[in-house]
Amino acid sequence: MVLLNPFDPRAALLAKHAQHVVLVHFPIALFMAGVAFDFAAQWTKEATKRATLAAAARLNLFAAAICVVPTIATGIAAWQWQLEGQKLKGLLLLHLALGCASGLLICLVAWIRFRRRRVLGGALPGYCLLLEFLTAAVVALAAHVGGFLSGVNVSG
Amino acid sequence: MRKSIWILSVAASMVLALAVLPTVQKTRAAGPPTADVKIDNFNFTPATLTVKVGTQITWTNNDDIPHTVVSEDHTTFKSKVLDTGEKFTYTATKPGTYSYFCSIHPKMTGKLVVE
Repeated sequence: MVLLNPFDPRAALLAKHAQHVVLVHFPIALFMAGVAFDFAAQWTKEATKRATLAAAARLNLFAAAICVVPTIATGIAAWQWQLEGQKLKGLLLLHLALGCASGLLICLVAWIRFRRRRVLGGALPGYCLLLEFLTAAVVALAAHVGGFLSGVNVSG
Repeated sequence: MRKSIWILSVAASMVLALAVLPTVQKTRAAGPPTADVKIDNFNFTPATLTVKVGTQITWTNNDDIPHTVVSEDHTTFKSKVLDTGEKFTYTATKPGTYSYFCSIHPKMTGKLVVE
């Protein structure tokens, strides 16, 4: 077995594993942080702190939406190149469906936040937190299935 | 006389057929040599398999996770995605050493040595 230096940029960029499993952590982490900031802002009474938390949430959600693009692109590339576009079934199909749904929902949440800030002066609509919570659940489910596929969630 | 010859010919054919039949059946039952590789807990077992030319190798996915079996050169053999319990069979036709891996989990590797 050949061990690679984890700090060698060439080894990291040209690694044999699919880049999807590396990139996928960015939208998940950014989105979850954004949702956490939004929920924290909702329960903060002081206006300045509340605005700061809301701004942090907004930026995290935007960054998550941007990271969705390469994540889905590398996921589809892995399907097309590594599996040569075979018809998917079972866990792989479920992961693809949940992953695409997660990506769309993250972009939808980010778009609603962006639109609210520009058009309505930043007031968060009542359904927004519910949508964020539901999106977080879909993201978690997609990640859970992805973890099984990659072997991370397998015992032993 | 003619009738006797006819009966004799039929009897001789039947005896011959009965004598040959077990040999044919034996050959059919034996078939080509076979070997099995199990896919278990993200491992190919055995990791290195040595077989003779003409051996039929069968990989069986015993994991709950889908796997594939793809030769390093991507052309010698390549399975579809194997779900739990699904099998992939390849008949070794040329001597050589063939490294293979799972394209979903490239860390899963194995070696097939054909003599």
